[in-house]
Amino acid sequence: MNLSARRRRQTAAQKALLLVGLTVGGLFAGLPVLWMASNSFKKNTEIFALPPKLITSGFSFDAYTSILTDPTKVRFFINSYVVALSVTALTLVVAILAAYAFSRYEFPFKNALNVLVISVQAVPPITLLIPYFGLVVALKMYNTYQGLILTYMVFTLPYAIIMMTGYFNTLPRELDEAVKVDGAGAFQALWRVLVPIAVPGIVSVGIYTFMIAWNEYLFALTLTKTEDMRTVPIGIQLLMGQHSYEWSEMMAMSILGCIPVMLLFLFFQRYFIGGMTAGAVKI
Amino acid sequence: MSALAQSAPPSHRDPAPTYRRPLWPRVQRRITPYLYLAPTVLLLVVLMLLPIAMVIGYSFQDNVITNPNPVFVGLDNYVKVVTDPVFFTAVKNTAYFTGVSVAAHMVLGLTFAMMLNSPLLKNRTKALFRVVYVLPWLFTVAIIAVLWRMLLNPNGVVNYLLHTLGLIHQNVEWLASPATALHAVTFINIWAGYPFFMVSLLAGLQGIPKDLYEAATVDGANAVQKFRNVTLPQLRPIIISMALLDVIWTTQQFALIWMTTGGGPINVTEMLSTYTYKLAFSSYKFSLASTSAVIVLLLSMVLAFLYVRHQRSRD
Amino acid sequence: MSNGARTVRGLLVASGAVALALTTACSGSSNPASTSASGEKVTLEFAQWWEPELPAGALQGVIDDFQKANPNITVKLLSGPYASTKEQVVAGAASGTMSDVVGLDGAWVSDFTKQNAITDLSALMKDNGYDDSQLVSQVAIDGKTRMIPVVNFVYPLFTNDDLLSQAGVSAPPSTRSQFMDDAKKVTALGNNTAGWVLPLSLDAPNGVQNDVMSWVWASGGSMLKDGKPDLTNKAVTSGTQFVKDLWDAGVVAQGSFTMKEQDKVEEFTNGRVGMMIDSLAHINLIKKENPNLKFSISAIPAEDGYTGARGIPYASWGIGIAENSKHKAEAWKLVSYLMSKDVNSKLSTLANAFPGNKESTPDFSNSDPLFSKAFDIYKAGTPANEFVGLPVSEQLMRDYGEQLQLALNGDESVSDALKNAQAKWVAEF
Repeated sequence: MNLSARRRRQTAAQKALLLVGLTVGGLFAGLPVLWMASNSFKKNTEIFALPPKLITSGFSFDAYTSILTDPTKVRFFINSYVVALSVTALTLVVAILAAYAFSRYEFPFKNALNVLVISVQAVPPITLLIPYFGLVVALKMYNTYQGLILTYMVFTLPYAIIMMTGYFNTLPRELDEAVKVDGAGAFQALWRVLVPIAVPGIVSVGIYTFMIAWNEYLFALTLTKTEDMRTVPIGIQLLMGQHSYEWSEMMAMSILGCIPVMLLFLFFQRYFIGGMTAGAVKI
Repeated sequence: MSALAQSAPPSHRDPAPTYRRPLWPRVQRRITPYLYLAPTVLLLVVLMLLPIAMVIGYSFQDNVITNPNPVFVGLDNYVKVVTDPVFFTAVKNTAYFTGVSVAAHMVLGLTFAMMLNSPLLKNRTKALFRVVYVLPWLFTVAIIAVLWRMLLNPNGVVNYLLHTLGLIHQNVEWLASPATALHAVTFINIWAGYPFFMVSLLAGLQGIPKDLYEAATVDGANAVQKFRNVTLPQLRPIIISMALLDVIWTTQQFALIWMTTGGGPINVTEMLSTYTYKLAFSSYKFSLASTSAVIVLLLSMVLAFLYVRHQRSRD
Repeated sequence: MSNGARTVRGLLVASGAVALALTTACSGSSNPASTSASGEKVTLEFAQWWEPELPAGALQGVIDDFQKANPNITVKLLSGPYASTKEQVVAGAASGTMSDVVGLDGAWVSDFTKQNAITDLSALMKDNGYDDSQLVSQVAIDGKTRMIPVVNFVYPLFTNDDLLSQAGVSAPPSTRSQFMDDAKKVTALGNNTAGWVLPLSLDAPNGVQNDVMSWVWASGGSMLKDGKPDLTNKAVTSGTQFVKDLWDAGVVAQGSFTMKEQDKVEEFTNGRVGMMIDSLAHINLIKKENPNLKFSISAIPAEDGYTGARGIPYASWGIGIAENSKHKAEAWKLVSYLMSKDVNSKLSTLANAFPGNKESTPDFSNSDPLFSKAFDIYKAGTPANEFVGLPVSEQLMRDYGEQLQLALNGDESVSDALKNAQAKWVAEF
């Protein structure tokens, strides 16, 4: 009795401590973004006024309406979605296949291939820009979705493969062997058993892939030229003029860009919540 | 590339009709992993290895792009880059920037992931916090740079808050003062990058079997012991992979530094990436820029090699 | 075994899909913009950063008029962010995808010429019998014109009337010592105000050109001698020393070392700095954002006792034609159209800039009276920007900027800074 009361008190104290910690961390993460959101409703001068205010007399949705009523800018968003979603889907499929090989097979040149996968991303992109651009033009992928999608796949594959290999490695081999004994092939073992169990890993790799494709700027700019192919990061940079910035519109555009991503994250995060998959991993 | 060239042939020598012969299963087993890897290798070789090979080629020529007939100059460019004092400043700054960033990403990512995974809180509370914590990740680098330039401006919000709290009495020029610029840029990079670790570790935490914790509880382990003996070892493969990748990426972080400080003030935030960029697009010395890039590549390959060897020794 | 075969087949399909994606990309989307081969109709690409800077639809309107006058030419406007324009032109030239007509900054001309990216306009003007005496200026490398400034933005001195009068200053300063006094008085007002603002960011180092070298040019000085760097001469030394004196007097707004032009104007608009050297392009912006701010413009102060013509720094929207363009004749038509008297007047009015054609006059009737005042200052002085046409001029600004930061920071003397910058410049030439 006494003991359980003490434990309950202890738990309550721990919970309070945890909430304080989470709030402090939340402020660190969220305050700058809150400031950004607040600036998107201000007039340009108010952004630099002292003392700073969260809500000002010039509060308006002008920045948002001017973006949402401009078909060119809406097109930037559509392009970003097309590219980022395709990259995510394709990267996941290709990476799962590769990770399965790295995780479940021994074969000659495995290490060489592994080093290849890791080190292709080690060249500063800025120096790759010119030769890469030449290649894309030669492959006739300049100013196309394919060009951007395949480019981002190259950027995201190494991480995706390494992480997926890691997740597969944590899953016991007995799992797929059991399926194989039942008469299924390696391929089925992968798709029917490993992939469903590895969903948390797949979701986190998917989110990562999406973010990279969504936010990349340099190659998006170089590999496209017409306005109907530009993505959101370029749209944001277009607001940074030679002589002045459209501060509030820039902020509004990035807020608009992050809302759907946030919703996606909210939706998929149930895969992170404890208990759902942990049971399945036990063997 | 060589791996494919040397191991793929069996499939050509044994065309489909022969697959009923007993030889086939063995061959099939041999080539299966390569087939799994084929899409990846195809993409990486065509789209990445080719340009990289060109960059390596550039680094041995006197000047490319601006010069229609470049001449082979051997290791001259390497000597020039390695003996440039600014290159050393850049290496030093990059080492600090990368080291501190990666360490902080790891610590913050793990701490936040553990807090967000705590069974003490309701799922809805955790869901709310998760969204807040992932926020810094959702923005393109240009906006992160602009946002923090505004926040860290001498007349900006950070100084205002510190002033109001009585922590400073004079405005600090966070990004513009040679004394604080490098730390400020590193801080921004930490803010922008930890969610990546956090999300991956959060996923990793789900994979830890619950009975490990139960067994530890039975053995009388306290929270710290459970963390050290169960959580950390279980997460180790993920942490190591991510640390490796983060090191490679942070070394190349360009846009954030360029758009906040441009490598300045003076050269206190000059990194390998900004140094390379200036060589290429400001001085038009593409060969020297390629050389500096190849040096980065070599360093990263050493890391990659160590990583792969570590993976192997674990098995 | 059949399962194994299925596995193999599945994987073959997967890698086949990737290969297919690569090859369809190769063959599929090959519908390049220019369709000249098919007939007389020609499509020109015009890459620039001006469209987002002008009122919405303004540049497209000018282009539409051009297309009406030249029905066989279609012009496609390609807009990119200013900060990345340079890399895009370099990459485009290297892979043969550069647009036919490109917007240029004077600082890039030498480098693009060396890369053989932009064509010789002198030859085109000669072929087309163009009278180039109507052009205000041309940027030539080795005697051949490569860029024509379409409109020019001058950089006079902006002064905040309210702050100056609060500080007891009745008129904008016209000499350096007056400027120093006024700056001190404004700074002494306290409340976080500064006399002057100096953007020295190293990623966009044009502060060196607009805010530092302008002091030298305003007093008739030069940083070059026979086309070679001459940073250690008396004029540059005294100009740089003056900036250092201002710095040491504590009248420069905080944050200089990473400040950009865009930040500078926000500080001024918010009434936190008394004086700045800035582009006329900002007049409308300042008025729009802070209608209550009263400010004047005047010529940049000169050395005490200087009576000669004052150099006024300027920046241009220049135009050039790609060397690998297949339609140089049509491209020239577009360029000469933009430079023609009426169109150029219209463009300069739209951009709040001064025309590149001598006969054009911007229409000041609807714009701020400050513009006509500025036009007078502009006419009384001489446009000065010695960075235009220099090799790697952005790197030169950066080299000088870095040394200036060292000097301001007290790490080296002004004369050492200039000596070091001179050595770097000589190496770049």
